[in-house]
Amino acid sequence: MIPSPISSHSLPRVDALGKVTGQACYPGDITPNNLLHGKVLFSGQPHARMISMDLSAALALPGVVAIFTAKDVPNNEYGLIMPDQPVMVGLGSSKPHSDVSLWEGDHVAVIVAETELAAAQARDKIEIEWEQLPIVTDVREAMKDEIILHPWHGSNILHKYQIRKGDMAAGWAAADVVVEGSYTLPYQEHAYLQPEAGLGYIDEEGRVTIEIGGQWTYEDQEQVAHALGLPADQIRIIYPAIGGAFGGREDMSLQIVLGLAALRLQERGIKRPLRIIWSREESIVGHHKRHRAVVHTKWGATKEGMITAVSSELILDSGSYAYTSTKVLGNAHLMVTGPYVIPNAHLDSYAVTTNNVPGGAFRGFGGPQGAFAAENQMNKLAEKLGIDPVELRLKNVLHDGSILTVQSPMPPGVSIDQVIERCAAEIGWGDSNQLSVNGHQFSSIQSLIANPQSLCHGRGIACSFKNVGFSFGAPERCEATIALHGQREIERVVLYHGAAEVGQGSHTVLKQMAAAAVGVDISQVELVMSDTATSGDSGSVSASRMTWMAGNSIRGAAEKALAAWASEERPAKGYVRFTPPPTTGYAEETGECMPNFAYGYVAEAVELTVDVETGHIHVDKVVCANDVGKAINPMLIQGQIEGAVVQAHGYSLMENLWVENGRIRNPFFSQYLIPGIKDIPDHVESVIMEIPDPIGPWGARGMAEMPFMPLAPAIIAALHDATGVWFDEIPLTPARVVAKLREHGIGG
Amino acid sequence: MYPPKFDYLRADSAANALELLAANPDAKVMAGGHSLIPAMNLRLADPGTIIDIGRVADFKFLSANDGYVGIGSGTTHAEVAASSDVPSALSEAAGLIGDPQVRNRGTVGGNIAHADPASDLPTVLVALDATISTVSGSGTRMIKAGDFFVDLFETALNDGELVAEISMNQDGANTGSAYAKLSNPASRYAMVGAAARVTVEGGVFTAVSVAVGGLTPKAQAAPSVGAALVGQAATADNIAAAAAAVQNDLGDDVMGDIHASADYRRQMATVFVKRALTKATERAG
Ligand SMILES: Cc1cc2nc3c(=O)[nH]c(=O)nc-3n(C[C@H](O)[C@H](O)[C@H](O)COP(=O)(O)OP(=O)(O)OC[C@H]3O[C@@H](n4cnc5c(N)ncnc54)[C@H](O)[C@@H]3O)c2cc1C
Repeated sequence: MIPSPISSHSLPRVDALGKVTGQACYPGDITPNNLLHGKVLFSGQPHARMISMDLSAALALPGVVAIFTAKDVPNNEYGLIMPDQPVMVGLGSSKPHSDVSLWEGDHVAVIVAETELAAAQARDKIEIEWEQLPIVTDVREAMKDEIILHPWHGSNILHKYQIRKGDMAAGWAAADVVVEGSYTLPYQEHAYLQPEAGLGYIDEEGRVTIEIGGQWTYEDQEQVAHALGLPADQIRIIYPAIGGAFGGREDMSLQIVLGLAALRLQERGIKRPLRIIWSREESIVGHHKRHRAVVHTKWGATKEGMITAVSSELILDSGSYAYTSTKVLGNAHLMVTGPYVIPNAHLDSYAVTTNNVPGGAFRGFGGPQGAFAAENQMNKLAEKLGIDPVELRLKNVLHDGSILTVQSPMPPGVSIDQVIERCAAEIGWGDSNQLSVNGHQFSSIQSLIANPQSLCHGRGIACSFKNVGFSFGAPERCEATIALHGQREIERVVLYHGAAEVGQGSHTVLKQMAAAAVGVDISQVELVMSDTATSGDSGSVSASRMTWMAGNSIRGAAEKALAAWASEERPAKGYVRFTPPPTTGYAEETGECMPNFAYGYVAEAVELTVDVETGHIHVDKVVCANDVGKAINPMLIQGQIEGAVVQAHGYSLMENLWVENGRIRNPFFSQYLIPGIKDIPDHVESVIMEIPDPIGPWGARGMAEMPFMPLAPAIIAALHDATGVWFDEIPLTPARVVAKLREHGIGG
Repeated sequence: MYPPKFDYLRADSAANALELLAANPDAKVMAGGHSLIPAMNLRLADPGTIIDIGRVADFKFLSANDGYVGIGSGTTHAEVAASSDVPSALSEAAGLIGDPQVRNRGTVGGNIAHADPASDLPTVLVALDATISTVSGSGTRMIKAGDFFVDLFETALNDGELVAEISMNQDGANTGSAYAKLSNPASRYAMVGAAARVTVEGGVFTAVSVAVGGLTPKAQAAPSVGAALVGQAATADNIAAAAAAVQNDLGDDVMGDIHASADYRRQMATVFVKRALTKATERAG
C-alpha cells in the first residue's frame, strides 16, 4: 500500500476544552454514589523491622470500615522489572523479608472509612513498634556491602554494566590531551500537577477495576493481577484524565492497594467504590525520583580534536527498590559517551541499592545523567584544545553506520551533525561577543538592585541523542484496532488504543494519524482509549515512543481495515500488533549489543546572565534544534520543547531535594522549588527540523525527552563562558555558584 | 490546614479594641490577618478570641508634616508602597513584600508587632530610626525602633498594648534611602534585607545609617558601616569597603535554611548593604 500522506497541522488538543473548563474528570474528581474513602499509612522508616502492629484503636473509631495490611495481600510483592517490593510491609506476609521497611514511603496499611477525615484519624491511631536497623544512604558506602539491604540479592549492587571496546592503552597513547571530570547530579521530583489519586471497585462484570492515572494500562493490570493472585482478565484498568506523568507514573502508586481493598471489601459483602487521593506531601514522599548520580570520567583526544579513548565510572543511587533502575542504568551507560564515535572505551556503570527514595523513570531515563558527563567533557576538551566546541563536535559525531561503543552500527537516519549546525546557526555561534540579549537588566529576582558591574554574560552549547522506544531487548510492541463504519462511504472511524494521554497530546496526534492513515477528515475519527476492557496493549507512554509506535500500529491497522472494507466487511475492522526491529541486551563482558532501533537528535545553545556577587543565574535565551522527523502537530512539539526546557531549567538551577538519613525533608513546593513564570528563560526558540526517520511513521521520530538532555551542560558551558569557572555539580543554586566563584576570587 | 476554633469580635475604634482586649484575656488582635492566620493554621497560635481591628479608622492614616511622616498602624503595605511622603527605603521595602494580595491586606502595625525575623519593615524602621507609638489601658508610649524589636517574634509591646503609629523623618535635603533584599524564592520574605539612609554633602558622607535583617533573629543596626563611611568621599570603592564592615555587627546568630545557608547569607549581607548604600547615595545626589 502506498501510505497516504499526513500534513503538519497544529490541531488544538482534543482534550483541551474539557481541561480548561474543568469538565475533564481526573481520578480525584470522580465521585460515585456510596463512596468510601481511603488513606495509606507509610512506614516512615528508612530501615526498620516491624515488631508489632496494633490496629485496635484505629478500628474502634467511628466511621472506620476496614484496615488492610500485609497479611491481606495474596501475593505480597510487586515491581516493574522485578518483584522486589512488598505491596505492604508488615507481619503475616505471604512473602519472606516483608516485615522490613527499606524506605520511608513503604506502605504498611490501607485504611477504609466513611469519610476522608475518619480514615486520616484512624491512620494516626495505628500503633507500630519498629526495631531500628542501620541505614545506608551513600552509594559508595553501600557498594562495600557491609550492610546488605536485600538479603536475597546478596549485594547492594543491584546491577552493573560494562563496556570494553578497543585498546585502551593505545587510545591513551594516541591522546595529546586528556580531560578528567567528576560530576554530581541531583534527584528530581516529577512535580506533576495532579498528585496520585484513584478509584477501586468491582465492575458490573465482576472485575477488580481501578481508575487511576498511569502510563501503561497493561503493565498496571499485570502488576495488580500478580499481587492479587488473579488472572489478568479479572483486573480492569481505566485511565481517566491524567495530570502529567513524566515517568513518575510508570511504577505503581495506589493501583495495588485500591485493587486489594476493593477485592477484600467485596469478600466482606461491601460492594462500594473506594477512593484515595494523595496530598502533595504524600505524592513527593510516595513516588520515585530521577536518580541522583555520580560520574567520574576521563576523555582523551588528539590535538586535531579526534577522541581517542573514554573511561568512566557511573553510579546511580537506585534507592530502596529496583523500580526501573536497571533500564535507566542501561541508558545512562550508553549515553555517557554522548553521540560520538569512541574508538576505545572502558565503561563501568552501577545501580546501587540504598535506603533512599527509589530512583526511577523520569523524562530522559538515564540519558540526562550520561549527557551531563559527556557534554561537559566535550566542552572542556574544546577549551583545552583551543577548538571551537561546535567544530569539535562535528569532527566526532555519529553518522549513519557509525559503530557505537557497544560495537553495533547506528541505525540509518542519523542527523546529529545537521542538528548541531542548525542550532549553532540560529544562535549566531561564532560571533561570540554578539550576545543577542545585550546589556539585559538582571530581572529574575525582582528585588535585586541590578549592579551592572556584577553581571556577566555567557553562551554555551551542547547536544544529545536519545533512543526512541524500548531498548536492550525489552519486548517492544504496540497494538491498535481500527473499525470503519458506514455503508457505501466510510462515515466514522473508531480507533481503539491504549496510549495514555498524560498531557503530552497523544490523543490528538493519534487522531490525526488515524485520519491520515484511513484517508478521512479528522472530525470523522473517534477514540476509545486506555481501558483494558476495550483497548489493546500500547506499551507505555515513555521513551519518546508513543507517536512512533502508535503511528506504525495505526498505519498497520488502517491498512487491514481498508482491506476488510474493500471486501465488503461492515464495520470493517483491522487489528495490528506492531513490532519494530529487534534489539538486544548488553553482553556481560564487552557490552556488545544492538541497543536501539531508532533515535532522536537535539542540540541546545544557551545565553545567560550571572550575577557573580549573588550567584543568581538568569537564562536569557535557549535555542533548541530538535529533529522530529515529521512534525505532525508543530504546536504540540513546541509545547514539548518549551516544557522540557523549563523542566531541565529547574533541574539545572533550582530543584534541590533535601534527603537526610533516608528521609525527604522538603516534600512541599514551598521548599522544593520548581521554576515559576519569573524564573524561566526569557526566550525559548524551538527549531523544529524534519529529517525523516526511515522507519518512523510518515518519517516521524520521538522527540519529547530530547530537549531535556543538553540543557544542563549547555548552561554549565555558558556559565563557564561568563566566568571562566567550570561547575561540576547541579543544581546551580546561588549559594553553590557563589561558593565556587569565590574560590576563584570572583565576586567577593 | 485549618485553624483551631476561635471566637470573633470586631472593634470599631481604638478605645473599643482596648476594652475588648481587657475583657478577653485570651484574645489576640487581628489587622490584616496575614501572619496571624497562617500561624493559627500551623497551630503556632491558638487565641480563644480574635478581635478584628482591620476596620478601625483611628489606625488608618498617613500624613506628612514638617519633615516628619506619621503612618497609622492599620495602613496597608500597598498604601505605604504608593506613598511619596515616606522615605524611599520604606516605600521600596513595602512594595517588595510578598505578592499583591499580601500587600493589599497586610498592615504596617501587624508586620512589626509580629516581628518575624524575615520581615522587611523592621529592618527599614531601625535604619530610619523610626518611633513607634503605642496605646494601652495605661496610656501611650513612644518606643525607638531599635528598642522595639527584642528577639525572634518578640517586641517591647506589653500585653494589652497596641501599635498606633509609626513616625520618622522624611528623606531630607541631600539625603537618600534605599532597601535591597535577597528574597526567599517562594514566599519573597527576606533572607537578607539591607536598609540604608545616607546624607551626602559636597561629595562626602555626613550621615549614614544602616540596618540588616532576614539573617539575624531581629533587625540589626549596623553602626560599623556608618562609622566606616562618615567623612569619606561618596565613591563606589568607599561604599564597597564600608559595606564589608557589616560583618562586625551580625553577631553569632546568623540563620540558614535550605534556600540559603548561614554562610551564604553572611556573604550576601555585605553585597546587599553595598547595593542599598549605592542606591541611597544615588538618591541623595
Ligand atoms: C505569602 C506571604 C508572603 C509574605 N511575604 C512577606 C515579605 O516578603 N516581607 C514581609 O515583611 N512580610 C511578608 N509577609 C507578612 C505580611 O507582611 C503580613 O501582612 C504582616 O507581617 C502582618 O500584618 P497583618 O496586618 O496581616 O497582621 P496580622 O496577621 O493581623 O497580625 C500579626 C500579629 O500582630 C498582632 N497585631 C496586629 N496588629 C497589631 C497592632 N496594631 N498592635 C499590636 N499588635 C498587632 C496580631 O495580634 C498578631 O499577633 C508575608 C505574608 C504572607 C502570607
